[in-house]
Amino acid sequence: MEAMAKVTINDRTVEVPSGTSVMDAIFHAGYDVPLFCAEKHLSPIGACRMCLVRTGSPRKGPDGQFILENGQPKIFWMPKLSAACITAVSDGMVIDTLSDEVKHAQSGMVELTLFNHPLDCPTCDKGGACELQDRSYEYGLVEKFYQPDPLELPLYTRFEMTRRHVDKHHALSPFIVLDRERCIHCKRCVRYFEEIPGDEVLDFIERGVHTFINSEEAGLPSNFTGNIVDICPVGALLDQTARFRARNWEYDSTETTSMDDACGAAITVDARSGLLERIRAAERREVNEVWISDAARFGHEWVNENRVRSPLVRKEGRLVEASWEEALEAIRKGLQGVARTDIGVYLGGHASLEEGLAAFELAQALSTPHRDFQGRTAYPVTVFSPASFDDLLDAEFVLVLGDPAEEAPTLHLRLSEYSRGLKPAGKLNHGTPFADLNIKERMPRLTDKLALFSVYPANTAKWAGASAVHAPGAEVALLSALLGQGEAPAGLEQPVAWVKGRLAASQRVVLVLGAGVLNQPEAATRARQLADRLGAKVMCMTPAANARGLEALGLFPGKGGAGWTETGPKAVYFAYLPQEAQLRAASFRILHLTHRHPLADRYADVVLPGQTAYEKRGHTLNLEGRVLPLEPAGINNGEADGAVAALGLIAEAAGVKAPFRLVRQATRWLHEKLKLPAVMERWMPKATGWAASESDVTQGPLYLRPTMWRQEQLVGAVARAVEVRLEMSPETARAQGLADGYRVELDTPRGVEKLEVRVVPGLPNGFMYLPALGAWAGRRVEARILVGGEA
Amino acid sequence: MGFFDDKQDWLREVFAQYPDTPQGRRAALMPMLRRVQQDEGWISPERQEEIASILGTTATEVAGVMSFYSYYQALPTGRYHIQVCATLSCAIGGADELWDELVQELGILRGEVTPDGLFSIQKVECLGSCHTAPVVQINDEPYVECVTKARLHALLQGLREGKRLEEIVLPGKAGHVVHNRGEEVGA
Repeated sequence: MEAMAKVTINDRTVEVPSGTSVMDAIFHAGYDVPLFCAEKHLSPIGACRMCLVRTGSPRKGPDGQFILENGQPKIFWMPKLSAACITAVSDGMVIDTLSDEVKHAQSGMVELTLFNHPLDCPTCDKGGACELQDRSYEYGLVEKFYQPDPLELPLYTRFEMTRRHVDKHHALSPFIVLDRERCIHCKRCVRYFEEIPGDEVLDFIERGVHTFINSEEAGLPSNFTGNIVDICPVGALLDQTARFRARNWEYDSTETTSMDDACGAAITVDARSGLLERIRAAERREVNEVWISDAARFGHEWVNENRVRSPLVRKEGRLVEASWEEALEAIRKGLQGVARTDIGVYLGGHASLEEGLAAFELAQALSTPHRDFQGRTAYPVTVFSPASFDDLLDAEFVLVLGDPAEEAPTLHLRLSEYSRGLKPAGKLNHGTPFADLNIKERMPRLTDKLALFSVYPANTAKWAGASAVHAPGAEVALLSALLGQGEAPAGLEQPVAWVKGRLAASQRVVLVLGAGVLNQPEAATRARQLADRLGAKVMCMTPAANARGLEALGLFPGKGGAGWTETGPKAVYFAYLPQEAQLRAASFRILHLTHRHPLADRYADVVLPGQTAYEKRGHTLNLEGRVLPLEPAGINNGEADGAVAALGLIAEAAGVKAPFRLVRQATRWLHEKLKLPAVMERWMPKATGWAASESDVTQGPLYLRPTMWRQEQLVGAVARAVEVRLEMSPETARAQGLADGYRVELDTPRGVEKLEVRVVPGLPNGFMYLPALGAWAGRRVEARILVGGEA
Repeated sequence: MGFFDDKQDWLREVFAQYPDTPQGRRAALMPMLRRVQQDEGWISPERQEEIASILGTTATEVAGVMSFYSYYQALPTGRYHIQVCATLSCAIGGADELWDELVQELGILRGEVTPDGLFSIQKVECLGSCHTAPVVQINDEPYVECVTKARLHALLQGLREGKRLEEIVLPGKAGHVVHNRGEEVGA
């Protein structure tokens, strides 16, 4: 039983766990206290002095008894006000937040904070959602304190000096712009970078009144920079991708789930006039807390442009706009003479559970084995018993094979929490504590609890007691060695020995598997053996956001069926843009796309307008197996519809009965027949009848390294920030006759790509590395350099 | 070549003074900055990068610590770096006028070095010698106190002649000076 402290706030007495901050006790009791520098999941530091309150405690006399006054314990008030965020409660404490003394101090702090703050709220993007605005209204100077004479005009400040003028519109990166005049030095962003992603790329420079925020690292090299925009209490740090688009109250905000990776972070999608303008993090304390990756936040500019808004049907060799009825006719005609078992159904990796169910049921009705989803890994992930993020924080040892910061960014942030030895944040009446005194600045990282092996240098390795970069394909030998079935690969003897010792000594182990392992059935089998032996729970960082859910529904190739990278069926439905060879091999192609693309213009017989993940309604499963909601944002997408409707159309055209035509019906089916639990609960069925072929796993020299960015996101600011280069070690470059900066044309299964070579010392020899930018993450493919030479 | 490449023994000695933890390692930041500042007169961005990579931190962190202290220079300095105290007592004693005189005399501003490489100037916060305001400090040397225009010119002249600071004879007397006795202090 946790020790509790009885605290009286003004007139209310509440019990809170000992160690709670005075600030959280005040919120817990239902009173308010102003704050700027405290923030959920960050260390409280008492920098802004905004939360000053009066505290007092009873005191014991020399006889060990409370000193009494009128029969009650006498309250000894502290001689000065204290900052509520860094003061811990004690039993019997009395807190006063309403007296004139407190109000006076708080309004004085508002006055001081506003002293150098520009009054450009009408042109500030934060206006309307600004903590400084709110606190100034609620706690700022009121006539009550500073009106010397009732007949005089109210006096709002005692200072009449020129404001400090410093740098405005300072671009920290392509995504973030800093206005130094607006900064109130709360240190939230500086603390965030050290504590949450562990990339210390922002700091206070100078001191006193000259203090400003700056970075020496060009372009803030971190995958998690955007969160500082959310936590900035003023308009000092702003999102460049959403700047000057709308006032905060004009946005149509929708809280949904990010389908950018398998973690299922909560996001708020802000649309205005039918256009997606901004994405912010939403709070989901079990999953992403309040943080999201830059890919989830800034990778939205592609959504609005060049959309397919109505069905397109090929007439006289050209795609022309048509109605859904005409599309149905075209599909009916196209499917004539095609055997039902020769129809392929392929969904995108961010399809909802409802869409997955529709695809599976249609494939069953057609009895076709050709069904799959983009980004399915060669080894099933549903065979692993998933760990939740709470399991992760509770683990004694975590073994990572992969690169969490790129493959499952939220997981990297939760590992940061894990490496600081923090437990899930407590829950009070107001939710997550604002000033959790368990969190401190610069907490030592507990490196003996984590090991990381990856094929490319991984950011998370900085918290690992043992880490190594190994060649792609070495995972099999590595896992065999951990199982005690063989020698460790050359160069990994030491870390492997250390990990073996730690695994043997630890009770609760969590394995984190990246796409590199999951795409090698041999390695994944060994990972499963290891997990079984240790009783370890597993987190699978799949390239497809809803891989666990779609697999659980049975959406993988049946016997003899073609997988998502293979050719096979005559008539195909793709809810994404497949490889050119797959389109060429089919005779009738239905593409369900959100955007126009030259390949679609060339090959598609019918193009149906599709929804992006921000426009879907339904449910998804994240890598914990947690059911998460998808809500459609107010984005104008014309006649676009999801796969449930499109597959219903195909069912009708093929002459089979579609089990449902509406997402709502599919949701009911999921709940009733498949026992899908409520949102936020976990659903962990195992896939049965796995017959996926392993033929699509090749062993070429090109490793497609997982990235948090996807190909379609590379427009606008993202295109300026993300560099796509063909990377290799100096030795490999020499063997290929290449050097840094050379331009090459590379022939891969994904097509011919023009790339610039970058030589990176320390990479394993014999391999070329290319950012996967999507579903091909973690695969090794054949690649040939067609032409190459100096730039 | 890095600054610390040939100072590995010195580095080992410094690290030995602190705990062998990532935090302890970071504590070596101050002695390393001081060493560079003493030897080179300023800490260039390349040196900041070097220190960051040795300590396993970022150049931003190094710049953050460095810029907090007015002792560490982010721009090249002259042989004699003249630091004029500009906080309250010295300001009342005429530090601003003294600063203007320096700028006039040397023809440089903050961040610049005289063409002969001898002088650079900087305003600093309180040097803690308020009773002898205005105060000027040259490099790491003892303070020059009660600096009048005459004393300042004598000082600069002495330095130009290559004299050591303690050899330079300044007019007037150092020590406590009461303004209303008619003695000129500052401007």
